[in-house]
Amino acid sequence: MIWLVTGGSGCGKSTWAEKLVQSLPGEKRIYIATMQVYDQESEKRVQRHRAQRANLGFRTVECEKNLSAAQIDAGSVVLLEDLVNLTANEMFDGGDPNRIIPDLLDVSTRCNHLIMVTNDLFSDGETYSSSVQEYLRCLAEVNRQAARLADHVIEVVYSIPVTLKGELPCL
Amino acid sequence: MKLYIGGAYQGQAELAQEENPEVPLYRDFHETIRNAVLADGWDPLAFAEQFCQDHPDAVVIANEVGAGVVPMAAEDRAFREAVGRVLCVIARNAEQVTRCVCGIGVRLK
Repeated sequence: MIWLVTGGSGCGKSTWAEKLVQSLPGEKRIYIATMQVYDQESEKRVQRHRAQRANLGFRTVECEKNLSAAQIDAGSVVLLEDLVNLTANEMFDGGDPNRIIPDLLDVSTRCNHLIMVTNDLFSDGETYSSSVQEYLRCLAEVNRQAARLADHVIEVVYSIPVTLKGELPCL
Repeated sequence: MKLYIGGAYQGQAELAQEENPEVPLYRDFHETIRNAVLADGWDPLAFAEQFCQDHPDAVVIANEVGAGVVPMAAEDRAFREAVGRVLCVIARNAEQVTRCVCGIGVRLK
């Protein structure tokens, strides 16, 4: 089963996604971390997320880009956090954004359940520089294709899950 | 009248096209408003009411633009405010309002 979890910044989508992971059957839990740590703020964010999932039995796989190289155990539950960083890394750090969707499909066939977290950053009405605008366009395309791939798409609104596609699980 | 909204690039135009193949679409309606705002004394509410009267069967597609920090430039603030006001009138007159997230249409009305 494939899940896409979206929502605004700080809306509780990671926490909800972690709860979802706990409810799903799988021999192993894998957390794919995509964020590049380059300053104190990102280090703090990583620490907060690590503490949050400390007792949930995850093996953390650092994968800033090129998901197909990530080692995924058969029968596992994979939490991918998140498409926003992954897309930025593929676009601006010598990767290839076109491989994201094939890579996601590939990961989904190697695990039991795949939960992808993304972010909604498209409604502020700003017009950015052309490279940022291109990034937004690309991320939106990744989100839409991921939603097509997913069996369930959930938008988290300040900790409340709203079903956009499929069904809401009982957590 | 039908309204399709969503954040930038969320697939509202594609969905509107798919669901209304025979009807002329008013695409990027927020851009229409961005240009209109520049004219002196332009009134968003009067414009919206008139538009609804003149085009009762229109399919309008627009971006949601109101969920950010208040812009520094006065014309950007006017633009954002006007999009909100105009789309409220269109939503009131529309028999169907659809919001797109990640390409998925959610019927609000």
